[in-house]
Amino acid sequence: MAGQAQLLPGTLDLLILKAVSLGPLHGYGVLLRIEQISRGALLVEQGALYPALYRLVRQGLLKASWGTSDNNRRAKFYALTAAGRKRLRQEADGWNRLVTAIASALGAQPEEI
Amino acid sequence: MKLWAFLRSFASAFFHRSRAEGEMDEELRSHIQCRADDLQRSEMSRAEAERLAKVEFGGYQKFKEECREERGGFWIETVWTDIRFALRMLRKSPGFAAVAILTLALGIGANTAIFSVVNAVLLQPLPYPNAKRLAMIWSTWGNETRGPASGPELIELRNRTRAFEEIGGIWVTSGTITGTVEPEQVRLALTTANFLPLLAEKPQLGRFFAPGEDRRGAAPLMILTDGLWRRQFGANPGIVGQTARLNGNNFTIVGVLPRDFKLLFPDSRMADVQVFIPFLNDLEKQNRDTGYIRMVGRLRRGVTVAQAQSEAESIASQLRGEAKEYAEQSLRLSVLSLQEDDVRSVQPALVSLFAAVVLVLLVTCANLANLLLSRSGSRRHETALRAAMGAERRRIIRQLLTENIFLGCLGGIAALGIGWVALKWILSLQPEGIYLLIAAKLDGWVLAFTLVLSILTGVLFGLAPALSVARGDLLEILKESGKATATGKSWLRQLLIVSEVSLGCILLVGTGLMIRTFTSLLRVDPGFHPENVLTFQLSFTGSRYGTVESLTNFLKELRTNLSAMPGTRSVSGVSHLPLDEGLGNWYSYYWPEGAPVQQQNTVMADHRSTLPGYFRTIGATLLAGREFEDTDDAVHTHVAIVDDTVSEQIWPGQNAIGKKLSIEDSPAGAFQFVRESVVVIGVVKHIQAHSLTSRGRGQIYLPVPLAPRPVYSLVVRTTAPMQTFAAYVQQAVKKLDKDLPVSNLRPQMEYVEKARAQTRFVTVLAGTLAALALFLACIGIYGVTSYSVAQRNREIAIRIVIGANPADVGRMVLRQSGLPVVVGVVAGLAMAAVLTPLLSGLLFGVRPSDPLTYAAISVVLAAVGVLACYIPAHRATKVDPMTALRTE
Repeated sequence: MAGQAQLLPGTLDLLILKAVSLGPLHGYGVLLRIEQISRGALLVEQGALYPALYRLVRQGLLKASWGTSDNNRRAKFYALTAAGRKRLRQEADGWNRLVTAIASALGAQPEEI
Repeated sequence: MKLWAFLRSFASAFFHRSRAEGEMDEELRSHIQCRADDLQRSEMSRAEAERLAKVEFGGYQKFKEECREERGGFWIETVWTDIRFALRMLRKSPGFAAVAILTLALGIGANTAIFSVVNAVLLQPLPYPNAKRLAMIWSTWGNETRGPASGPELIELRNRTRAFEEIGGIWVTSGTITGTVEPEQVRLALTTANFLPLLAEKPQLGRFFAPGEDRRGAAPLMILTDGLWRRQFGANPGIVGQTARLNGNNFTIVGVLPRDFKLLFPDSRMADVQVFIPFLNDLEKQNRDTGYIRMVGRLRRGVTVAQAQSEAESIASQLRGEAKEYAEQSLRLSVLSLQEDDVRSVQPALVSLFAAVVLVLLVTCANLANLLLSRSGSRRHETALRAAMGAERRRIIRQLLTENIFLGCLGGIAALGIGWVALKWILSLQPEGIYLLIAAKLDGWVLAFTLVLSILTGVLFGLAPALSVARGDLLEILKESGKATATGKSWLRQLLIVSEVSLGCILLVGTGLMIRTFTSLLRVDPGFHPENVLTFQLSFTGSRYGTVESLTNFLKELRTNLSAMPGTRSVSGVSHLPLDEGLGNWYSYYWPEGAPVQQQNTVMADHRSTLPGYFRTIGATLLAGREFEDTDDAVHTHVAIVDDTVSEQIWPGQNAIGKKLSIEDSPAGAFQFVRESVVVIGVVKHIQAHSLTSRGRGQIYLPVPLAPRPVYSLVVRTTAPMQTFAAYVQQAVKKLDKDLPVSNLRPQMEYVEKARAQTRFVTVLAGTLAALALFLACIGIYGVTSYSVAQRNREIAIRIVIGANPADVGRMVLRQSGLPVVVGVVAGLAMAAVLTPLLSGLLFGVRPSDPLTYAAISVVLAAVGVLACYIPAHRATKVDPMTALRTE
């Protein structure tokens, strides 16, 4: 699939936190939201989402509750906790710094050295 | 209560888990349905949409498992699943399960039993308040270590110490309770007022002695043990305040000790004291050099035994500077923790037994590891299949390990049953001197020990097989299509056989040495002939025997009466029977008359008071001179008989007869010691008085009128059976004094057997453990050889088809299987040679490197091992080529 990138290890948690920060979502909803906000550029293996969700719940970054989905199915909805919000901010900052650093390193021209 | 709470929380966690499991399933399915809804919108049939959704989702079970792991608390569930799986596997092979559990039960059960003994005797604190702070204080007089203290010594020490909170003293003797249904000779303890409060919180009835009630002139008071209170006083709850007659005097009963109270002192005769009375004496005014009191102290909080020891040393040096008695006999004091002192004599034996039982456990583990390896062929196929379906290697090892630990725990449960039976049996052996053993039981400590041991055992025997199963190339294993294979693993099995045999060999050598020790003990010449000698004890207390004359007359008359008994060859008596540790010993310094001062107060000898004909009666050997006669009384002659130890010590190479000896005697009455000179009239061969294994002090015998004692044992050489004898004695004594109880009616042989009891105990237990190890090793060897023969059925068949002689095939199998046995024996002998010197303390009459034992053990072990190989090897010769080749 051209135009789609594999996730770097460790980035799935960050993406989930971001997706959920925009409003409570059920698992499938998280998947769709990630696709939507990455403009279809990031591919998440569907099943792999759930171990990550359970992990984030156990770490106290997400909280889960049962509700009804748009198409009237019973589903488990995830929302960000205060700790989750804080973690998202930290991780996003860290990510941005990394990206800037890598980009500037890759953009270096011979005459700049 | 605690257990219930634990079970409840465990159960609720469990129900909670199964709900969480359901929710997880629902969530994942809901995801797939949502996806299918979306796919359906793009012109797809519902069935097709659902199929595609499932495919897109990926490995459903795999992600579910990952979710479970992420959820936390996951291991309980895994363990539970694994255990259920293990149960299924065991149910599928009941033969294997039975052998494995039985082997484990024997190995762990033996450990449970021995540990409960070690725990009770060595590890648990003594059953006294602040037991850790209790210490014995021993006096050393000259060359005599671990001696008792004199009255003034106790008082001086008590006045000066800062290390001890309290120092109490006790002296055990014998007394007579009269005025009850039947007069009874009891073991009587005289104590300081503060002695009992050191060892018990409070009496079950009444009170302890109060300070000052132990002084001369205080009212006579008495405290009973629970046993005597029940036996002689019908457990009367109103007993406090009543009087009882002891040694002809009235004593007011002030208390009854708790039911479980027991004097657990290094001195076995203290164990069955029944009556406690205060000293009723001013201890500080007694002789400084008449030591008879055992001192027990309670250290101040935070003071160590070592600190108390250094204080005791400095107090002893002060005392030596202050009184010539202490200086002449170079008094020293030593402090030892009560517990350490108590177990001193049994510790080496118990530690050795514990080591032996650990060896048995290792043999068990090796055996089980072997058993599991034999099964690994079929298990490899199954695990390979699971790996192919996506199970991680780590997960498989964990599962196999759980299975083995579970097996270990099943064995542990069965082991508790075996341990319980074994402990009953050990207790029934009643080893003399290990009196703390009565406390041995399967308590929480023992249960915890067994649990930990079961788990450890599971890991130990299960790790190698688990690793070996989980290793290997998937495809290769699957291609083998479930056929049992042992490729490359046979070296591991051989190694296990080598270790099993060598461990068993160490045990057998140790046991062999113990058996040799025991037979040496049986051959020891104790210096007398205990066969056909019957004995009993009389305690002469109270005013009736107040004079030396009344005592001598009574004994003379009794001797005449007993001589008239049919079957009697001779009758005599002694103050202290050989090998009877039930009485306080009497020993003091002696020297040849006229010896220079520096030669005085150097050597001690046991002093015995005897009736005429004593040596003839017990079958001792008179080396020179004559025995005592009735005419040897204090008025006419002062005479003594010495043993060869004494005569060699002071008159080496000379004839002792007619020589003069300076000794302590008491012609005016018991305890009224004076130093006098006596003429030696006889020399007797040394009698082993305290133990069969060490020679002990020399002995000096004095006639009764010179050294009257409160307790005498009568000895009768007779052909009469014990029962007739007992009845006759009771009657004869009653005729002379109806209030005089007869006690300790028993053959002299019993004392000799008691002296061998500890060695017998260790030998029997070590023998049992060694037999167990040998049995397990045999099973192991047999199992491995059988297995390898079964494995090589096809190869053997081919050999035979192409013309090999079946007998040669059998020899080949025997040679290959026998090799690890031989290597094991050699390795075991080498290890035994290194380890057995540790047993030296338990051995007697045999060196740890005894060649006979080593040779015998290697022959036995090799023979048994080869036999275990022979049976399967023989089976190999019977292989029918046609059947074997067809089945493969």
